[in-house]
Amino acid sequence: MKLPAFLRRSLRNKVTALVVATTLAALAIAALALLYNNIREYRETELAQLRTQAAILARASAAPLAFNDAKEAANALGILGVNPAVEIAALYGADGRLFVTFVQGGVSGADLPQLARAAGTSVEDNRVAIFHPVVQDRQALGTVYVRARSGLTERLLAYLGILAAATGGALAAALLLSVWLQRAVTAPLLGLAEAARRVIDKRDFSVRAGKSTEDEIGVLAEAMNAMLASLEREIAERTSAEEALRTVDRRKDEFLATLAHELRNPLAPVRNALYLMQAAPDDAAMGAEARAIIDRQVRQMVRLVDDLLDVSRITTGKLALRRESVELRAVASSALEAVEPLVRQRGHTLAADLPPPGIRLNADPTRLAQVLLNLLNNAAKFTPPGGRIEFSAGIRDGELVARVSDNGIGIAPQMLAEIFEMFAQADLSLERTTGGLGVGLSLSRRLVELHGGTLEAASEGLGRGARFVVRMPVVEAAASGAPASASPAAAPGGRRLLLVDDNTDFVDSLARVLQRMGHQVRVEYDGEAGLSAAREFRPQVAFLDIGMPRMNGFELARRLRAESGTAAAILIAVTGWGQPHDRRQAKEAGFDDYLVKPVEIEQIERVLQAVTR
Amino acid sequence: MRAALAGLLMLLCAAAAAQPLEHQVKAAFVFKFLSFVDWPAQSFAGLDAPLAIGVLGADELLAELNGIVQGRSAQNRPVSVRALREGEKPAGLHLIFVGRAAAAQIPRLAVLPGVLVVSESEGALEQGSMVNFVRVEGRVRFEVAPEQAERRGVRISSRMLAVAQHVKPGRL
Repeated sequence: MKLPAFLRRSLRNKVTALVVATTLAALAIAALALLYNNIREYRETELAQLRTQAAILARASAAPLAFNDAKEAANALGILGVNPAVEIAALYGADGRLFVTFVQGGVSGADLPQLARAAGTSVEDNRVAIFHPVVQDRQALGTVYVRARSGLTERLLAYLGILAAATGGALAAALLLSVWLQRAVTAPLLGLAEAARRVIDKRDFSVRAGKSTEDEIGVLAEAMNAMLASLEREIAERTSAEEALRTVDRRKDEFLATLAHELRNPLAPVRNALYLMQAAPDDAAMGAEARAIIDRQVRQMVRLVDDLLDVSRITTGKLALRRESVELRAVASSALEAVEPLVRQRGHTLAADLPPPGIRLNADPTRLAQVLLNLLNNAAKFTPPGGRIEFSAGIRDGELVARVSDNGIGIAPQMLAEIFEMFAQADLSLERTTGGLGVGLSLSRRLVELHGGTLEAASEGLGRGARFVVRMPVVEAAASGAPASASPAAAPGGRRLLLVDDNTDFVDSLARVLQRMGHQVRVEYDGEAGLSAAREFRPQVAFLDIGMPRMNGFELARRLRAESGTAAAILIAVTGWGQPHDRRQAKEAGFDDYLVKPVEIEQIERVLQAVTR
Repeated sequence: MRAALAGLLMLLCAAAAAQPLEHQVKAAFVFKFLSFVDWPAQSFAGLDAPLAIGVLGADELLAELNGIVQGRSAQNRPVSVRALREGEKPAGLHLIFVGRAAAAQIPRLAVLPGVLVVSESEGALEQGSMVNFVRVEGRVRFEVAPEQAERRGVRISSRMLAVAQHVKPGRL
């Protein structure tokens, strides 16, 4: 069934129409029933009255009829004058002929029946009429005829008037009721609809439908609110997840840009230095300065790339510690030593509180030094020239506690957590003076965590310095004690060294450096050539690349170990892959040690020192 | 259909009795008086005992009345009519019509208990008659002396009194 438009659109109209229609229908049915009953009763009463009147009249007119007394008969009929509804009355004799008539109210008696008819009532034309026999002592004396106006029409009109008034009143009541009903039924629903509309229009999921009733609408409101709540939660989660993804993405973009910049930056001074060396090959002072520049810049690049490699290892979960017994003082000293040039360059004062010698712990010395150096470097970098840097390291409550504090630019409170995020940099402005990839702190914290410790930052705010604290459980190392790793000594010269690597630039430059250090150096570019050179050259130490054409480093090492002439040589693997798997394989192939590219001169020196001993 | 038939019948009757004679009217009235008068119960021999009418000195009326009562009843009783001879003892009668010729008999008859005396002579009420026919403007009317009837145990309906030409006052 199709509803009219005004009902389809509004619940309020529906309720009103419902109430009004119900009221009208009930009223109409009740009115019709009452009307029918009333009319019937009224007609019956009317006829009964007429019958009574006719009977009385018949009795009163019996004697006049019997004795043919017209005057007395007229008197008898005259009684009807008390009833104004009676229009006409007549008496008929025993022979059926009209005897006496009575007319009142200006009615013409023209239509009066001239002869008596059989007894009975008749209703027509809003009139009731009766023929009634006059019987005395069982003898028919004649007939009475009475005709009266029916009060039915008047009655009906009055009744309809009352009905109209009642209908009007009921309608008013129905409208009032519908207003009330609307408040009770429609209003909560409308509230619900309004809430739904707001949600749809504004995508505002924090909207809640007001619950004012305990009925089905209340249940609906609760269900809707529950749905909205879970929707809101989900959307919030999704939004924050998207936000996080966007942040990571943005950081990566920034990181790439920074990386390119940071990698490109050292190249310009290197080129300048090379140009100087070519332009004035004989100027010893300028040559030394150029070399110093190249040395500094290359170191910087190596550090950057090291960091990058570490980041990649951390993100792929491949960073492993090489724990050994470490002398805490030695590690701290080496870190302080490494940062010293930068501290001096920036004019800082560095106050160091070193631990007493002899404290050993089980840690990866390189990584521990890397962490301390990173913190010291940051302190030097983020403190304006002439600042003060304090360093302390020691054992407190069975825990290694190392502190680096400065009076530099500080960290805003909201950045304290973020600085440890990968690729985060507190200052992203183009004018920033500090370089770096923004991975140092993240890396440091991961390294400390791998040691089972924590790295925390504290700052009073921007411009008020920063303090970084490393805490690490002390795991007592075996008493045997490996040689202190950081005790550089003069490089002993005069060794026979074999270098095999297919990276000619790397291997040639390394050979040149080692020759300058006084060693005898032989260079080959593939495994087979390396093997035949070794047989003839009998190197004391051989540095072998792993990934090489014709014969890989593992194979070469096995061969060298297998031949009597080279079995005693020190074999060092040099590779770009520092995975534990490779390390184990190298050991199995007969290597004595394992260096990860880029290889520093210092590392080679250390290896050679060990050989000497 | 029935109504029409009844009407037709009445019309025929009316035509037949177009101009009723005086004795005919009086006979009809006498018969009708039976309906408006109450007699004491002891004046009847039994429940089915007839209402007995005696006619004295009015042969035409007697004949007419005989015709009227034929097969008819009054007050649930059959009606009998007989002639009353002068000097005859009026035993068992309820109504005695005394003709003009026998008016002298009225005082004697008017003392009989339980008998309504109907007469047609001027001043008859004074002689003890209870209902007396008179002529008024050429029509037959009657006058009544209800108190005199009452004295003999006969009660005349007030409705009959209402159509009487004259009601003789009396101590009732």
